[in-house]
Parts: sequence; structure tokens; C-alpha cells
Amino acid sequence: MIEFKNITLKVHRQTLLDGANLCIAKGEKVVVRGTSGCGKSSLLKCALGALPLAGGSVRLDGLELSAATVAEIRARIAFVGQEPVLGAESVREALQLPFTFKAHRGNAPTDEQILPLLERLHLSAAILEKPCKHISGGEKQRIAIARALLLNKTVFLADEVTSALDPASKAAVMEELFRPEITLLSVSHDPDWIGQCNRVVGIVNHQLTEENA
Amino acid sequence: MTADLSISAMVSMYALMLLPLAVFFYLQLGLIRDTLLAMVRMTVQLILVGLYLKYIFQLNNSFISLLWVAVMLVVANLSILNKAGLKRGLFFWRSLAGVAGSTLLVGGWFILVAIRPEPFYDARYMVPIIGMILGNCLRSNVLCLERFFSGIRKNEQEFMTYLMLGATLREATRPYLRDAIKAAVNPSIATMATMGIVSLPGMMTGQILGGAMPMAAIKYQIGIMICIFTAMVIAAMVNILLSLPIAFDDHQRLRPEIFSR
Repeated sequence: MIEFKNITLKVHRQTLLDGANLCIAKGEKVVVRGTSGCGKSSLLKCALGALPLAGGSVRLDGLELSAATVAEIRARIAFVGQEPVLGAESVREALQLPFTFKAHRGNAPTDEQILPLLERLHLSAAILEKPCKHISGGEKQRIAIARALLLNKTVFLADEVTSALDPASKAAVMEELFRPEITLLSVSHDPDWIGQCNRVVGIVNHQLTEENA
Repeated sequence: MTADLSISAMVSMYALMLLPLAVFFYLQLGLIRDTLLAMVRMTVQLILVGLYLKYIFQLNNSFISLLWVAVMLVVANLSILNKAGLKRGLFFWRSLAGVAGSTLLVGGWFILVAIRPEPFYDARYMVPIIGMILGNCLRSNVLCLERFFSGIRKNEQEFMTYLMLGATLREATRPYLRDAIKAAVNPSIATMATMGIVSLPGMMTGQILGGAMPMAAIKYQIGIMICIFTAMVIAAMVNILLSLPIAFDDHQRLRPEIFSR
């Protein structure tokens, strides 16, 4: 469960959220929409401790985000942005990257684990040897999702992840992220995506309000 | 002894500066004022140091020599922080520890283990050797700190991605540390690789002009180059590692208030 309790969020001295509340149950799929710059992406970032809160608290499964818990919370959440950063030279290295860190060392996935996952995301095995800078934005998004799935993460924060995808790839990504065990907080303007979510939340007057899909 | 330069000889040297100044004027670079100011500062500072060193060498007192070294370390440290755009109040002691530790360790090794002068605190060795190491450490540390922090600032999303993937702060900063150390040492590697062919180093040239045998001057030059290189790497590593607890908050976010500009 993700819980934003009475959060106030300011970016560059501009108040984006002021005492806002949102509670997302385990396995629930929530999409946030609103005008450009209203704080949708910032909401996702503050859940990861990437942006400081001016007030309130964020909890994941009862664990309050703080200096002591931030690493554990980040380890449980996967974030996929509009232009994901893969942080490696080749796609294979990008998929292996988290397993070079102490937290996941020794659990590196084998090709037997990677290849079926790539297939499910409409990516060919040949992409593994490609340099990250030579793959498209849509491929980067799917590689970032594959990486998060290899880490067995079940809480996803997704910021416009279908924006660069063709219909077939979009369907493949949605199939992966809309699995029942995955808790999803997303930002999207895509009607197909919004239609699949359990709840639609808008940002109005610095508050998070339930909307009709 | 080196032939002294007369006043008219010095005037002729300053006259050479008219050429770059003319280029700056022609290209409207806006560098004339800064160049003239730097020249005046260089002249005044070197004259003062010349006078001061004369007395330091005559006195050859360990306390005075160490005091002078301490002054050099503090000024170098302030200059590093200023040029790297970091707030002095936050980083002063940590940065000083890196610069002073590496310079004194490596300089001390060269003087006490290799040269072994009598007395060991002989100012004619201590002051110029520490000065040469420090001058090079200054340049490399500015480059290293600036590159490290600007790398994280420019690639904040990438840095946060590493954290999201389970990296510790040290693991997440490692790519930027690597880039920074490379940027700091690459010019020295290039200099060492071409030394003697493309360039004749200042210390060796100075010793030869001063009447030393070329082979003796070369041995000193090799020693000082190794010292400079080692001190540069140690200072850069220590400076960055010691800066981490100040530069990042308790959520591993880079603190914007550490920058002076």
C-alpha cells in the first residue's frame, strides 16, 4: 500500500500540493492526470524520496519514508519515466546493472530469465548487444520495465510510459504492468491506459481529487 | 650560477606580452583587463615570495618553514574551493585534510626517504618541493571536484536511477568519481608520456640553468613527477570521499546549497 498523508510539495518555491492525501491499496492501479506542471511527476518523485516534502508523510506498506528507510523503500519501488536512463553502454549491461550493486549482487539473471521477458515486451534477443544510445525511446522504456521486473519489484511508478510506444508494444507493456500483483501509480494521458486503471486522480487546487475515468 | 636578468631584459620579456594582448584586442575577447591584472599579481607575488624565501632559506628554521607550508596549504585549499564553486564554510576542513594529507605524505616521502637532506627540514628542499606538489594538486583538485559535482548535477536523473536500482551513495556516485579522477589525471599522464620530447620540465630546466648536472636534475624531475601524480590522485579521492556526507542530504539528494554559484 502507498499512502500520501497530508503532503505539501514545493518545487522552486512554487506550491504544487498543499496538504494532499492519496491512498493506493495493494494491487490497485491509479492514474494521475492534470495540466502540465501541476505536480504529477513530482508526486511520483516524492514517493521515492527524490524530492523533499515540505510537509506530511509518505508510507509504503506502513513504512514511513525517512532517512532510515529511504534505501529500503527505493529498493521496493520501480520508477519508469518518459525517457528512462539506462545508465550503461549496452542493453545487456543495462539489464545487469542493478546486479552489480551490493544489494543485488549474486542474483544476476541468466539469459533463460531475460529472453522470455524480452519476448513478452516485444523486444528481440538481438537488442541485448545494442548500445543503449542506438535504441529508440520506446525500447528504452521497455528495457527499463524489464529491468524492474527482473528485480521482482511489484510497486511501479510509471510516468507516461506508453508515450513512445506503438499499439502492440503498448499492449505488451500494459499486460505486464496491469498484472494483479502489481501496485501501480502512474501519470498518463492515454485513454487506453486510463481506461484500465481502477481509479483516476486529478490535481485541482493543489489537492489530489478522485475523478471519473 | 644562473645569469641574472637585468631590468632591461625583464622589460623586453614584458614586451612579449603585447603580442597576446594584441590578439585579445583584435578578437574582442574581453581578456585584456584580466590578463594585465594576473600579470601584475604574478609579478608582485613572486617578488614578495622571492624576498620571503631568501629569508626563509637563510634562517632555515623548521618552525618558520612549516608555517610557510601551512600558509601555502590554506591558500591552495581556499583557491580549490573557490574555483570549484563550492562553499568554503562547508568544505574547508575536509578539503584541507585531503590536500594537506596527500601533499605532506608524498612530499614527506620524497624528502625524508629519497633526498634525506641535512637537516631534514632544510627549507631549500621542503618549501619548493611542497610548493610544486601543491600547485599541481590545486589544478587537478579543482578539475576533479568541479567535474564530479557538475556530473551529478547534469545527470541527476541517471544518478537517481542508480539509487532506485539499489545502489548505495558510494555506488551511485562511482561513475562520476571515475570521470572526475580521469579528468584530473589525464593531462598529467599526457605530460609524463611526452616529457623530455615535447616539453622540458620547469624543475629540471631550472636546476640545469642553476648549474646542476643534467642526470641529477633528471632524477629529481622523475621523483617530483611521481610525487605530483600520486598526491593528485590521493587528494582527489580523499577530497571527494570526505565531501560526500556534506554534499548529499540524508535521502542521498545532492544539496543545492553547497554551491557558491
